[in-house]
Amino acid sequence: MKSHLLEFIDTLRNAGLSITAAETMDAVRAVSITGIERAQLREGLAAALVKDEADRPAFIDLFDRYFAVPGRQRGKGERPQPTGESEGHGTGKSGLLPRAEPRPAEQRPEGRGPEERGSEPRQRESPHQRLAEQPRKDGKHEHKKEERGDQLARKRALLQIAFREMSAPEIEECDLLVTELARRFRAHLCRRQRATPHGRLDIRRTIRRSMSTGGIPLEPAFRERQPGRPDLVALCDHSHSVATASRFLLALLAPAHSFFRRVRLFAFVDQPVEISFEAGTLIPHDRLDLYARSDFGKALVAFWDQYQPLLNRNTILLILGDARNNRRPPRADVLARMHTAVRQLVWLNPEPPARWNTGDSVIATYQRHCDALLAASTLRELYAALRQLFRAHRATA
Amino acid sequence: MNRSAEVTPETVHDGLERARYLTTPRVETVLYLALKLEKPLLIEGPAGAGKTEIGKVLAEILHTELIRLQCYEGLDEAKALYEWNYQKQLLRIQADRAQDLAWSEVTQHIFSTEYLLERPLLRAITTPRKVVLLIDEIDKSDEEFEAFLLEVLSDFQVSIPELGTISARHRPAVVLTSNRARELSEALKRRCLYLYLDFPGVDIEREIVSRKVPELDARLHDQIARFVNGLRKLDLRKAPSIAETLDWARALCALGIKELSTTTVRQTLNFVLKHEEDLRKVDNKISSLIGAAARHNV
Repeated sequence: MKSHLLEFIDTLRNAGLSITAAETMDAVRAVSITGIERAQLREGLAAALVKDEADRPAFIDLFDRYFAVPGRQRGKGERPQPTGESEGHGTGKSGLLPRAEPRPAEQRPEGRGPEERGSEPRQRESPHQRLAEQPRKDGKHEHKKEERGDQLARKRALLQIAFREMSAPEIEECDLLVTELARRFRAHLCRRQRATPHGRLDIRRTIRRSMSTGGIPLEPAFRERQPGRPDLVALCDHSHSVATASRFLLALLAPAHSFFRRVRLFAFVDQPVEISFEAGTLIPHDRLDLYARSDFGKALVAFWDQYQPLLNRNTILLILGDARNNRRPPRADVLARMHTAVRQLVWLNPEPPARWNTGDSVIATYQRHCDALLAASTLRELYAALRQLFRAHRATA
Repeated sequence: MNRSAEVTPETVHDGLERARYLTTPRVETVLYLALKLEKPLLIEGPAGAGKTEIGKVLAEILHTELIRLQCYEGLDEAKALYEWNYQKQLLRIQADRAQDLAWSEVTQHIFSTEYLLERPLLRAITTPRKVVLLIDEIDKSDEEFEAFLLEVLSDFQVSIPELGTISARHRPAVVLTSNRARELSEALKRRCLYLYLDFPGVDIEREIVSRKVPELDARLHDQIARFVNGLRKLDLRKAPSIAETLDWARALCALGIKELSTTTVRQTLNFVLKHEEDLRKVDNKISSLIGAAARHNV
């Protein structure tokens, strides 16, 4: 039995489940407790070996082949019903007790058909015979292990694709990846929040506090380092070349809104339009003309005119754009005014640095008024830029 | 006294019966295994399927206490393991000031277990008998906490610098629950037995409703179970939990409703669905769901 079990585990591994030696030992111990009664054996092995519900169908399939009921059609083990549907028929007590001796099949009606007859038939069929009958490696299952490796490689590849070169199906795949990244970003912000250092010693409050401990200052009070949570304003260029990058930036920022006091998101091509990001889709509050020609200067002026009150000492202003202005006036003076108004002004450029300042790109003009200019041409760079931005932020508070 | 020797499949089954927790043989087998092998049990599944309940039920089966650690984002060692009761220590120091004590005596006083605030994990380690430790919603905590938890779960021993190392006399039975909001670390999964607890099927849910709300008509039990089952198959923002099904059943009972009809369902559906978008989505499907439920009744 043990060798049979080990072979079974090996087959599971080939099918893509990763099973450690410790889990193998758990499985062996589990079998010694559950016995060989089929339903319990299956659940016992599943509990020890299958740690992801997505792997369960493959496990069931292989289990049915390896511990096939003799006398029935090989390979076509009982199709497992969805949990709860038919297993709910009061098997109750009788289901759990391991059978010490083989029982005739017809005497035990169970929701899923007659059970196997116990240990005797299994001994009759030697393990070698059974192995020879069943295909050791099913082509379908073999691929699953490679699939997993492929998935990781795919994710890595997706992170490296430049936004401008992404095709529509790739964008969809990235959407899933971005939700995962957004979660990690949240966790990162959460850790940051907890570990923020405090400011200078506040003598007055320390002495006040020491009153409760008889005049002995035992718990020092510090000046609050950070003025609560910052405001976040994001201004994203939505012209054709940059729209993908904008979308991903917003998808990354949206779930982290609880770490900021106020979050306002804007998109623009030549006019800023406020947007919300809900359930993965962008909802513009107003009409956004996606076919206009990019005009950063005009957008900046309009933004400054309409939304100036949003920009205060507590605001972090993120601008995502390639700064390709179609030879129109850049209006860097407006950007300068914005810079003095906010706490931090960061520019994310979805073009690779080699292309900056070529053609109609005026990023150098804008750069003078930014606290940071970061390249974000792939998902990896975008995520890294956000991380860097919010790590640096801690120190400057 | 080796507690695990007393656990048999019958005790598990009887315990579940006594606690009125209806479930499948799969769950019974895995529970039994977890107790017998003395391994932690990781239960994943949709919210409201009864994962936390299992912890409570397990405590009843073992006739012991349940220690619960509710995880959340930002939970750290101090809140989970132990903290010194600073205020009490300060008071002690003040009180001792009158007597001119040597430093060693002072530390002996203030660093004793009297001044230690035991949080759930430490309580689970120091109990004089075997308890059930329920770590709820571990997927809400972060990866650092998971790593720390792994350490505790492997040795069940804690080092407090001032007091030394404390080992558990009786390893608690550990149950971890997760709503799959994020993937748990491989190392944690390796250490545990795994159980996926999904919503129950129609039969079990009907049984649950009939046991908890017996005043209703048997046919209504069936209709309710089938209706909710049908709801769960739809793509909703939040599938109804078992508790919500029972709330609905009780509401129908209180309103004296004998049978499901489109109007009665529409009036009471907010007991089952708690999101406006779900209510809207289901609104035009109510009659077909009732029809499907009624069809099985004949």
